[in-house]
Amino acid sequence: MQILSKSKLEEALNQLGKNAELFVPLARGEESGFYPWSSYQAGSDRLMLDALNVLLPPKSVVFPQTERMYSFTSTGPAVEIKETFESPQPRIIFGLRACDAAAIACFDDVFLTMGFIDSFYQARRDNTTIVAHACYEPGANCFCEAMGVDPTEPVNADVIIRDAGEVYIWESKSSKGEKLTAALGSLLENKEAAAPGLKPFQQQANYEGVAEKLKGMFEDPIWEQLAATCQTCGICTYVCPSCYCFDIQVKSWGEEGYRFRCYDSCMYSEYTQMAGGHNPRGNERERFRNRFLHKLQFFSERYGKPLCTGCGRCIVACPAGINIVEIINNIKEADTSVRA
Amino acid sequence: MKDITLKIREIAARLLQSGQVDIFMGWEKGQEEYQTRPFFARQEEDVEKLIFNEYSIHNLSNDLLKYRDGQEKIGIVVKGCDSRGIIRLIQDKQIERERLYIVGVACPGMKDPLQAVKDNSGFFPTAASAGLAKKCGDCIEPNPVIYDELIGDKQSPRAGEERFKLVKDIEDMSVDQRYQFFEDIFSRCIRCYACRQVCVACNCRTCIFDEMKPQWVGRETSISDNFMYHLVRASHMAGRCIECGECERVCPVNIPLMLINQKLIKDVNAFFGPYEAGIGYVEGVKPPLSSYQENDPDDFL
Ligand code: SF4
Ligand code: SF4
Ligand code: SF4
Ligand code: SF4
Ligand code: SF4
Repeated sequence: MQILSKSKLEEALNQLGKNAELFVPLARGEESGFYPWSSYQAGSDRLMLDALNVLLPPKSVVFPQTERMYSFTSTGPAVEIKETFESPQPRIIFGLRACDAAAIACFDDVFLTMGFIDSFYQARRDNTTIVAHACYEPGANCFCEAMGVDPTEPVNADVIIRDAGEVYIWESKSSKGEKLTAALGSLLENKEAAAPGLKPFQQQANYEGVAEKLKGMFEDPIWEQLAATCQTCGICTYVCPSCYCFDIQVKSWGEEGYRFRCYDSCMYSEYTQMAGGHNPRGNERERFRNRFLHKLQFFSERYGKPLCTGCGRCIVACPAGINIVEIINNIKEADTSVRA
Repeated sequence: MKDITLKIREIAARLLQSGQVDIFMGWEKGQEEYQTRPFFARQEEDVEKLIFNEYSIHNLSNDLLKYRDGQEKIGIVVKGCDSRGIIRLIQDKQIERERLYIVGVACPGMKDPLQAVKDNSGFFPTAASAGLAKKCGDCIEPNPVIYDELIGDKQSPRAGEERFKLVKDIEDMSVDQRYQFFEDIFSRCIRCYACRQVCVACNCRTCIFDEMKPQWVGRETSISDNFMYHLVRASHMAGRCIECGECERVCPVNIPLMLINQKLIKDVNAFFGPYEAGIGYVEGVKPPLSSYQENDPDDFL
């Protein structure tokens, strides 16, 4: 078994950061998210590998909030593409949890399967190595297991690290992972260490059968009730590791310009605003319902798994205290037989 | 606070039963004691869920906007700051006073459930358990300024001499330091627009940030677009922010939005005051920057 002693962690990160842009979970001032290790400031930043997770998910590494796509010149009706900004440089996400790794697996489904390949995503994804960090102590809002995610065996990982006290157990899972193992060389040692057992979850979501049941609940009065206090602020979708909606917009000056994509959210009315003035999701009930149906029903119909990996971030950040675990359980328990 | 809870339930039951209101807006308990959240009772049996505790911070007045086009009569519980939000809505002609039954609670100061949830999330370095919410320390009016019924003993304002201390610190910086300061805070904005969404003064039917033709403010998370967003948002708050602090409280990346609002409050007061937004409702009176007179000074144009 290979292990990385915690006392050699910084050295290992420096080593990995030599050949790739390395992202690590940090608490930085008021912020909590994944940032480049090269920007780490000892003293003011705090490495969050010993914490449960960070608030802003690592999705931005493979799917940035704002991403330039191409630049152009347009003269009259003729448009010439000048440059395409695919971004193939090597990147490593170090220390993400199983929920976040599973969310990237959802992105892979969306951007790389079903007959369409998003080349911008592919360029980033192909060149990203994932070092996932197994979880043994779920936090106050975690419910990954209920959503089909095993916190101790992260999917999509090139390497899995396991916290065994003084050391991390280092398990390479792919050829990309082997490269990191090779790069670390003698920083890794051969030694036995034991991972702890998984502690119980505090949140209990019962998702079984929910996707099926939702098929008949589009017009159910439950949505009115569940959405009553939602402020359609969109925070939940921005902090969610698995939300991937984006808009394509343009910046231009004279004949020059570029197109970029940026995160969007189904919680916004502008998201479904149509050119003719109609908005099929004009009110918060319709927008709220869409978010949950996409997460809990539509995605599962198309890809065989929910678009929620149980990370609990939306529970933490929602100003109205809306809790997806309660929503799942409410749907599960709702008596739809008495309704029209 | 138990007494206040009981009193709120009693009033809500009475209003719903008699049909005096169709909806009664208050708070309920979430999973944990600290997860108090908004709750709208529609039937008498919902009333038992209503609570008032030290985490009833959420300003419910913003939720009235959901009903602005309806006919429903609405009962609503407000603290000092929230009641100023109601004046904001009435002044802005968003809701009629006659549709509301306002239950005022003299506010003992609140803690922030979002902070408590974050402290317990494992997503931040462990913090010392937070006391009174920051906005409550800056509160100039804990007593409701408009109500039909008042609960609780009158409270004293908590903002002291130091009300604009942070604003003054920033005013004292050099231009370069100040630019750096704002660049630092705005660069981390993720442009989720939650600060707008929870703001009772942000009640425009079509928000400038949603306009696409023309698109006034770009949607990139870049320093220029972020600055533009915050400049526009700030200028729209001048003379209108009622200091409920919700924008800053909900911001997922903790941008000190109240600092910006406070600068505007201070300046509006200095240039057009004495003025505090939403402190007293006088029919027909408008906030300083919401009216125009021929002889307004315009030499800066
Ligand atoms: S949701 Fe699961 S994988 Fe994610 S941090 Fe919690 S226990 Fe770990
Ligand atoms: S964070 Fe909460 S209030 Fe905001 S849109 Fe999501 S569910 Fe609604
Ligand atoms: S919906 Fe909520 S719990 Fe599920 S993955 Fe997104 S942020 Fe996490
Ligand atoms: S929940 Fe909404 S924002 Fe998230 S991926 Fe689905 S449609 Fe997009
Ligand atoms: S809530 Fe915070 S992050 Fe979101 S748009 Fe406002 S300032 Fe930016």
